Formats: sequence, C-alpha cells, structure tokens
Amino acid sequence: MVQSKKQKYTFLAFCLVPTFIMFAIFTLYPLFSGLYYSFFDFSGSSQNMEFIGLDNYIHLINDAIIPNTIIHDYFLVVTKVIGIMIMAMFFAVALTQLKIKEAPFYRIVFFFPNIMSVVVIGILWTFVYNPDLGLVNSGLEFLGLEALARPWLGSETWALPSLVLPSIWAGIGLFLLMLMGGIANISKSYYEAAEIDGASQWQQFWKVTLPLVWPQVKISVLYIVITTLNGSFILVQVMTGGGPNNATHVMGSYLYQQAFVQYNFGYGATIGVMILVLSLITVLILQLLMRRDKVEY
Amino acid sequence: MKRSVGEILGKTGIRIPLILWTIAVLYPIFWMFLGSFKSNAEIYRNPWGIPESFDVQNFADAWTNYNIDTSVFNSLIVTVIGAILTLVLAIPTAYAIERLKFRGSNFLFILYVSAMMIPMVLGWIPLFFLLMEFNMLDNIFGLAIVYAVSQLPFTIFVLTSFLSTIPKSLEEAAAIDGMSPYGILLKIITPLSMSGIITVTIMNSIQFWNEYFMALIFLQSSENYTLALAIDFISSEAQYTNAWGTLFASLVIAIVPVIVLYAIFQRRISKGMTEGAIKG
Repeated sequence: MVQSKKQKYTFLAFCLVPTFIMFAIFTLYPLFSGLYYSFFDFSGSSQNMEFIGLDNYIHLINDAIIPNTIIHDYFLVVTKVIGIMIMAMFFAVALTQLKIKEAPFYRIVFFFPNIMSVVVIGILWTFVYNPDLGLVNSGLEFLGLEALARPWLGSETWALPSLVLPSIWAGIGLFLLMLMGGIANISKSYYEAAEIDGASQWQQFWKVTLPLVWPQVKISVLYIVITTLNGSFILVQVMTGGGPNNATHVMGSYLYQQAFVQYNFGYGATIGVMILVLSLITVLILQLLMRRDKVEY
Repeated sequence: MKRSVGEILGKTGIRIPLILWTIAVLYPIFWMFLGSFKSNAEIYRNPWGIPESFDVQNFADAWTNYNIDTSVFNSLIVTVIGAILTLVLAIPTAYAIERLKFRGSNFLFILYVSAMMIPMVLGWIPLFFLLMEFNMLDNIFGLAIVYAVSQLPFTIFVLTSFLSTIPKSLEEAAAIDGMSPYGILLKIITPLSMSGIITVTIMNSIQFWNEYFMALIFLQSSENYTLALAIDFISSEAQYTNAWGTLFASLVIAIVPVIVLYAIFQRRISKGMTEGAIKG
C-alpha cells in the first residue's frame, strides 16, 4: 500500500472521531451525568443544585409508590412475554408448517402494528376501551355479558391488565417474523425422520421445532424484557398517564412525572438509575436461566 | 398422499385463530379510518359502522384549525434531517469498524451495540439541560440531532453486518489504482452498500416520524410540535371538545405515510426490524 501511517490514522480519525464525539455528548455524557444528578437535590436551575449524598436513594426506598411501579413493570414484562411468545409461536408454526396458501397475507397484516406510532396505538386502544363507544364494552353487550362491561382504563383493578392487550397487539408481528425465520432454517429431514418414527404434530413441535428455534426464543424473550422495562412507560403515558390513582404507573412514567412534571430532576435521575440497574440484573438473570434451559436438550 | 378428513378439518381449525387475529389487528385501524369521515354526532350514534357520507371536513379542520399542517412539516424536517445525519455519522464508523482493523475496533463496536440495551430514560434528564445550554431546547433541529444519535447504535450494527457481505476485491483494486481511502468510502463502499443503507434509513425514518416521548420532553411550544405531539394534544383536547372526528383524521394523517412506505418496502422493513430494531 502507498498509504503512509499518518494518512491511515488521519482517515481513521475522520471516520471515527466526529461520530464518537456526537455519541459521547448525546448518549454517554447524559447517562453518566444522570448518575451524577441522582446525588443532588436539583429542581432545574443550577443555583439550586445541592449535593445531598444518598438522600434521594433513601427517599426511593421509602417511597410507597416505587414498589408498585416495579411490580407494574414486571407484571407487564411477564404477561407480555407469555402472551407474545405463545401467540407468536403458534402463528409461526401455523404459517410455516401447515402449508397455508395465504400465509404471506397474515405475515404482513400481523406485522403491521409494529410500524405504527405508540401514540397512535395508545389513542386507538383508548377508544377500544372507551366505556361508551368502545369495542370491548359493545362486544360484551352483544354477547349478552353487559355485567362484565366497565370503564376499563378508569378502573384501578383493570387499568393495568388492560394495557397488556395493546402491547401484545403491537408487538407480536416482529417476534412472529423472528420465529418464522428460525423455523424456516430447520432442515426438513428432521421432520421426515420424526414422521417415520410416528411422532404426532404435537410431539414434533416439542421434540424438533422448539429445541431448534431456542436461540430465536431466547433473543425474543430478552428483547421483550428489555423493551418493556425501557419503554413500557410510553404506552402508559399515552393511555392512562399513570392513573387512576397511580394504578398504572411504571418506573419510567413515574420518572417522567417526578422530573418533568414536578421538577424533581435529582429524584427523577435516581429512579432512572434504578431502572438501569434493574434492567441489567434482569437481563443477566434471564441469560443464566435460559442458558441452563438449553443444556437440557 | 391422500389427505384425511381430520387433516382438512385441522387446517380449517388453524385458520380460525389466524382470521380472528387478522380482524383484531385490522378492525381498530379500519375503524379509525371510518371515524375520520364521521361527524361527532355520528360517532356517538353509530360508533362502529360505515359512515353515512365520506365527508373530508374533519381533515380540513385538523389541517387548519389544529395546525396539523405545521406539525406535518416539523415531523418531515425532523425525519429527513435525522435520517441523513444518522447516515453521515454511521457509514464512516461502520466502515472503519468492519474493514479497517485497528486496535480497539472490537471494543468500539461493543460500546455502540451495548447502547442499544441501555434504558435511555435516565439520560433524557441531563440531555434536557444540555440542549438548554446549547440553545436547542424546543428546537426541531436539536430534536433531529438527538434522534440521529439515538439511532446510531442500531444503524452501525446493521451497516457493519451488511458491509461484511461486500467482497473486498473492489476496494483493493481501487486502492491499487491510487484512489484515496476517502474516495473508496464515498465512491465504492457507499454505492455498494446502498441496499443496506436504504433499509436502515427507512427504519430510522419510521422511527423518527413516530417518536413521541423525546419530542414530549424536548419540545414545548405548539408551533414546534411534531405530529405525535399534535395528536396527543388534540386527543387531550377532545376530552372537552369531543372533536373525535378531527382526532381520527389526524391519526390517519400520521399513519398514511408509514402505510405507504410499508406497502413499498414491506420486505426490507421486516428484515431490517428483525435485524435489531427496538420497539417500546
């Protein structure tokens, strides 16, 4: 090569430095300084920024709403993982194994909500649950089950479970595609061998399909967990704003409320640190659990 | 092989959940489209039926009375600038990481990619004050920069995996012919990876067009609202004004460009998403 070392390094710097500077300013610095803010009583103006050590963390531990936000987040994580994985797996097997002619149609339709904005999804589903106009209540009436009709998002008991359906609705397409990709890569010879051995469809699913798409299952579960812990608050914000009476507050929506509505930026940052730590711990535990699961096959 | 009765029944049976889910996905969306043509009185009288007439009054109201025109324009600017900036930043870095092996290239890649896993909500508080200091708070260009950087990890991730499939021989030939590395990046690598670039750009554009939460935090005055914020605003107004028809019309305005993109690039979008998109 005719290139000198100096030229090479200049080019490398040209490629890497501007991008890294932007990344450092707008991603790394905010994350670390969020950590830093969590040790301050900070209401938005730098004159009033007072170092208070671990006081925010002590407040966090004693805040009666915090345990509920954590429970709500993990409720959404668990119900979404179960709901999405069962349905996506069922659809993926149906669309790949059963030679349904119109399979591409379903694949496209089911993916469709994945490209919609969370605001649009949230508003749309607020209407689905609307006590007077909503599809859910009119559906129940139609079936003669008026007794079950209720103001879903206005009920302290039902508001949080009501958020699960739109999350599944919005999420299923992506995981369906991932699982379909995994199943498509399984060699047909496995199924032929299973067929000769007289394995039923059900047995083929448990003995062939599931073990061989386990990598995709694992990635999907991790994805759902990460995106729920990091992003469930957006749907909450749009659909219920955390209400009624904090019944749907998750960690992120509570952070938003503390920081950007009540201007407790220091305490908001402390909640952010908690979200970060809980997400990392959850992902680590999950990876350990699912690794052990794989060894059994 | 002859099909048994049971098999045929089984196949019909399997279609029932597929059809039910199709209805569950499409019905609310159709309903939104239908609602956008109904007057408020009609929405109450006949919430789930076909509109009596296809009146575009709601669209006109949304467009002029609720300033959707400004928001569409803002969203367009944020999306275009964000998408271009992401590429300008991501292509050279992806090229350097994938092709120019240097000390720390692996570390840099892991650093960028692990940012995809980190909850950014903690960073949004300092980012708010940072933008304030740069005089970019309540500014759609500031938002575009934040968007661009937020999609950097995903874009670098997809582009490096795409670049690794391009044969090295062309760049080597160009280098022997005396082309500078800048020329190679611009005239060889970028055109060759156009397919990957288009895929991530569509995905990023949809993401920027749809984004709500950062816009909520970083934008304040209504003339700077993006579509997502404008819709959210109309939605909370509608609690008092009952302007449901207008709300549906603005939802339709927000979703139509995405539907068109999806219709054209359905395969690329699905592929790009499964390669690492993150949805809230």
